[in-house]
Amino acid sequence: MSRRINRRTVLRGAGVAVCLPWLEAMMPRTALGAAAAKAPLRLAFLYVPNGMHMPDWTPDKEGPGFDIKPTLEPLKHLKDKFSVLSGLTLDGARAHQDGGGDHARSAAAFLTGAHPKKTDGADIHNGISVDQAIAQAVGDQTRFASLELGLEGSSQAGSCDSGYSCAYSSNLAWRNPTSPLAKEMDPSAVFDRLFGSGDKKEDTKTSEVRKSRRKSILDFALNDAKKLQSELGAADRRKMDEYLYAVRDIENRLVKSEKLRVGEDGIPNYPRPAGVPRELDEHCKLMLDMLALALQTDSTRVATFMFANEGNNRGYPEIGAPEGHHDLSHHGGSAEKQTKVAKINRFYAERLAYFLDLLASVHEGESTLLDNSLIVYGSGISDGDRHNHDELPILLAGKGGGRVRSGRHVRFAPETPMCNFYVWMLNQFGVKADSFGDSKGKLEGLS
Amino acid sequence: MVHASVQEIELNSTSEGNMRSIFFLPISLTVACACLMGDARATDKVLLQKQLSTQVQPLLREHCLGCHSGAEPEAGLSLEHFDSPKAFLKGRRIWEKAVQRMALGDMPPKESNKLDDAKRKFLIEWITSTIKDFECGLTPNPGQVTLRRLNASEYRNTIRDLVGIDYKPAENFPADDVGYGFDNIGDVLTLPPLLMEKYVIAAEEISEQAIMTPPADKQFEANYAGNQLMLKDGQNSGDMILTLASTADAMIEEQIPWPGAFQLTVTASGDQAGNEPCKMQVLVDDKPVKELVVRNSREQPEDIKLPLRLRAGKRKIALRFTNDFYVEKKGDTPQQDRNLHIHYVSLTGTQASKAKLDPTKLSKSHKAIFFVEPKTDADIPKVTRTVIERLTSRAYRRMATPEELKALTDMAAALQADGESYEASIQAVLQALLISPKFLFRVEPPRGEPGGEQRGEPRGEPRGEGLEAYRNLDDYELATRMSYFLWSSMPDDKLLALAWGKKLRTGTTIEDQIKRMLADPRSNEFIDNFAGQWLTLRKLKSFKPDPQMFPKWNDDINKLAYFETMNFFRGAIREDLSIMRLLDADFTYLNEPMAAYYGIPNVKGNNFRKVSLEGTNRAGLLTHASVLAVTSNPTRTSPVKRGKWILDNLLATPPPPAPPGVPELKEKGELVGTLRQRLEQHRADPACASCHKLMDPLGFALENFDAVGQWRTQDGGQAIDPSGELPDGSRVNGVAQLRQTLLTKNKEQFARCVTEKMLTYALGRGLEYYDKCAVDKIMAALQKNDYKLSTLIIEIVKSDPFQKKGEREPE
Repeated sequence: MSRRINRRTVLRGAGVAVCLPWLEAMMPRTALGAAAAKAPLRLAFLYVPNGMHMPDWTPDKEGPGFDIKPTLEPLKHLKDKFSVLSGLTLDGARAHQDGGGDHARSAAAFLTGAHPKKTDGADIHNGISVDQAIAQAVGDQTRFASLELGLEGSSQAGSCDSGYSCAYSSNLAWRNPTSPLAKEMDPSAVFDRLFGSGDKKEDTKTSEVRKSRRKSILDFALNDAKKLQSELGAADRRKMDEYLYAVRDIENRLVKSEKLRVGEDGIPNYPRPAGVPRELDEHCKLMLDMLALALQTDSTRVATFMFANEGNNRGYPEIGAPEGHHDLSHHGGSAEKQTKVAKINRFYAERLAYFLDLLASVHEGESTLLDNSLIVYGSGISDGDRHNHDELPILLAGKGGGRVRSGRHVRFAPETPMCNFYVWMLNQFGVKADSFGDSKGKLEGLS
Repeated sequence: MVHASVQEIELNSTSEGNMRSIFFLPISLTVACACLMGDARATDKVLLQKQLSTQVQPLLREHCLGCHSGAEPEAGLSLEHFDSPKAFLKGRRIWEKAVQRMALGDMPPKESNKLDDAKRKFLIEWITSTIKDFECGLTPNPGQVTLRRLNASEYRNTIRDLVGIDYKPAENFPADDVGYGFDNIGDVLTLPPLLMEKYVIAAEEISEQAIMTPPADKQFEANYAGNQLMLKDGQNSGDMILTLASTADAMIEEQIPWPGAFQLTVTASGDQAGNEPCKMQVLVDDKPVKELVVRNSREQPEDIKLPLRLRAGKRKIALRFTNDFYVEKKGDTPQQDRNLHIHYVSLTGTQASKAKLDPTKLSKSHKAIFFVEPKTDADIPKVTRTVIERLTSRAYRRMATPEELKALTDMAAALQADGESYEASIQAVLQALLISPKFLFRVEPPRGEPGGEQRGEPRGEPRGEGLEAYRNLDDYELATRMSYFLWSSMPDDKLLALAWGKKLRTGTTIEDQIKRMLADPRSNEFIDNFAGQWLTLRKLKSFKPDPQMFPKWNDDINKLAYFETMNFFRGAIREDLSIMRLLDADFTYLNEPMAAYYGIPNVKGNNFRKVSLEGTNRAGLLTHASVLAVTSNPTRTSPVKRGKWILDNLLATPPPPAPPGVPELKEKGELVGTLRQRLEQHRADPACASCHKLMDPLGFALENFDAVGQWRTQDGGQAIDPSGELPDGSRVNGVAQLRQTLLTKNKEQFARCVTEKMLTYALGRGLEYYDKCAVDKIMAALQKNDYKLSTLIIEIVKSDPFQKKGEREPE
């Protein structure tokens, strides 16, 4: 048997980021072993805000011979690896008597299909998101049930969107209708979480001591919280439920990491990032690298990634669109603004291409990581000016381990719920569901 | 006809005095009246119902329901089916907004059937009194705050004040979500597993940094079975045992990690023969050290121990069989053969760490936690308990209960029994405290802290027959609310001592403490967290204007502009100014680069100081570069955003969100012309007009400031026109007139807005309709005291919602 390459030996020489593709010899045993049998199915949702310049997105032709419009040109070389899905609708994001707030609702409803309750704080209510429904089914097979990543933290102040708490516009993943899952945006923190901090010298003894002490302290905390909970009122008890869930989750993971320990050879050849880079482009690349690493090492099989929070108004002077994204998206018919929106859309499509290329470069037996994944990319708004939530820009990449016929433009009947897509997805992960959110059936024609 | 009846009602209202007079009487008086209503209420109800059907509903039908009814009411707002005063109460949120819009004069819209002033006034008063009637009874509900988790900055401050460690990684905790404009809202502060994981790691790192432990003893151990020894002329007997049958050496070679005492243990035996037992010489690096005697037989090997002092480095230890003896069998005399058997060899060493910490090298954090010292080992249990009691009481911000203490001291004792040092056991306790929900959350149980009642905590006045009183917070809870309000951190020893002695509510203690707290540097946290969020200036961090268009703006100016406003707010608090000065102060706080940015000469150095703005175009918050930039787009100003910002943050009348019918815009042509022209085209659409005519004129008045707050008189070659028409028909031209309008027409509204924002921040929850009673009281005090900031802060702390624990009303 060939020797696996020790990470430390590699790290010592790695002053600069070692570019992918990674050597297969460095693939962790867990994923390799799995690949030999049957590579696990991975799922990731990548979200872009403020809708899309649809004329540059939707292909004219349907089926395998579809035409690639300018926004998706960066993905041209992957044409047989993804499909464009047209006609999907997010009804929960619509006003339904609640007035404005399409941005907050779009992000909140994107994976839940729910109509989030309009509140700036009290009684936040959404629905469980599909990634979490799947994580609850398959999450026990990996060290992390799911990962939530993004490039932007929650809003710093003020209101995010017309009377909706910022929790709605900055979180995709909802563990239950009242508990959004915050995302991590620092690549070094993600790396440490996945693989342990690279430069902390801990002999095994200390980490054993740490671990056993951690366990007894978590037990102590659980007891404390249970006692406290009985003394509290209803709203407070819900907070304590969150606490108890979180503590149990960590306890489980402690046990699990013993079972699925990342050994020296489970840590990929990748230098620990230094922190959050100032440049968006660099930040984005590092975070996508982290996401790819997490999937590659089978640390998790379910992930969400927000390129920006919904309604983000960042300017992109580096690509000739210095005006704010949100402001531009309300183009009022201006050709110039639409061109700039398209530029921003393309900027993110390039990042998507980078990510898909990463996945395609990882071999898993005869196939690649991309082949064994379902990667959904899109937005909960179609045209940023109209704020419409039908005809959403949605792309599905990866072959889902042979479950998907990719490389097509598939058009569904108008008003087909996104949740029909999610029902299909749940089924692919072995969850016997025939409904989810506002689904009216199961999306047909993908496989 | 209608007009006549309105007059009749006005007469009625005058005669009844107590009901509909709030717009004319001082507010405090109104509150008093409301409390005295008693029996009058039944009659009022009949009267209200009568007025509703004979006057209010006809007016609503004529002026409102044309748009606000049916399946798709305007702005999603239906005013139909309000058939009883009670229905108005239930729909108070809708009516609060409706009244605001009517008072602003933009509803009903001009284009519709005109509602004359008398009728407008009547409607406003009737609705207001109806939806207010309910609120301030004898004991208005002080509301309930959902269990608040410490947010990231509160966590970091609390850790600093609890154990004296600045825990920087708290910056990278997943961002706290914002509700009602602030990041300290209990309902919104969730605890995702990711954050709990960070807390667990933080608890380890912080407890290790805060508490020093004696270094653990270092162990050295090397073990050999006999057959693993290196041989010089020996022979292996085939099992684990090494047999030396003639003079020979068995050796080990070890890298000795430190110089010092080691122990060599040789498990040996001998085939005894001759007149002396087996002898074994021990040599270190070929120098004989000692000769050992091995008396036992092979069946019963013995452990022979030899202390050795070894130098660090590679050492060779040899065991030499020295007295080989062999006599062949001779007749009746049997063969005599003396052999040495070596079964095992082990070399062990302990580098004793200093058993006690060096008292001269203890950190400040460590000394603060171990404020008493055990004199002898026998003291340790007692001292452990004392140290834990203080630490726990400070971490929980109240006295630890006996049960809590027992659990924690048991934990420490168990660890000590396991061989952990006294210090390490306290380290573990601190670690447990730091992830306890009682530390991470600000707990205010509905029935008070355990034992509170026995301690005679104030219970508040009874609410009425069969109803439990809204309880007063106990002094610890109050001290905690005060410290997180003004310091974003835990109460200090002084506050805790006052709470312990139940002195917090005596005399002028609250006022005195607030004064002390505001003078403490920790109150910078209040400035930063409250003002930074109220004015939305934290969003500056993500404001990146186009560098080509605005070369003067850069990352430094971004920070300095923020500091200017924070210093300004801090100065206003220090000098105890009127809230109104925030809008029109003819001074600000600048340092040299920021003054240069404004073109103000003679400010030298990097320190911010008070600078007069006389003779400049600036005065008050609205002319701060921070405010002007945070309300702009990356390439241009946005009068809409600036107007909305004023409505949201200075007047607390957020414009209604864009109507849901926006998709229709798709059919419209592209808007062209200057910004002002485009906005005018936009306003031509009635769907857009109702909001934009509120926002746009306010924003246009600030057009003399560009997107990064620089003064300008031209934009794109065209002269700036900073004029606009307010919804009530009056005109404002430029920032000075806007300021004037705000300070005259909107004075009360502004004061109320600041009060509501600060109360929201102080409570950590959104305000409910019943909080109006508290806000009214605070407003009355402000009016009496020239709107002083200290009055605002003191009255907030003294208000019922801050002092009491009420209930959450189902919607």
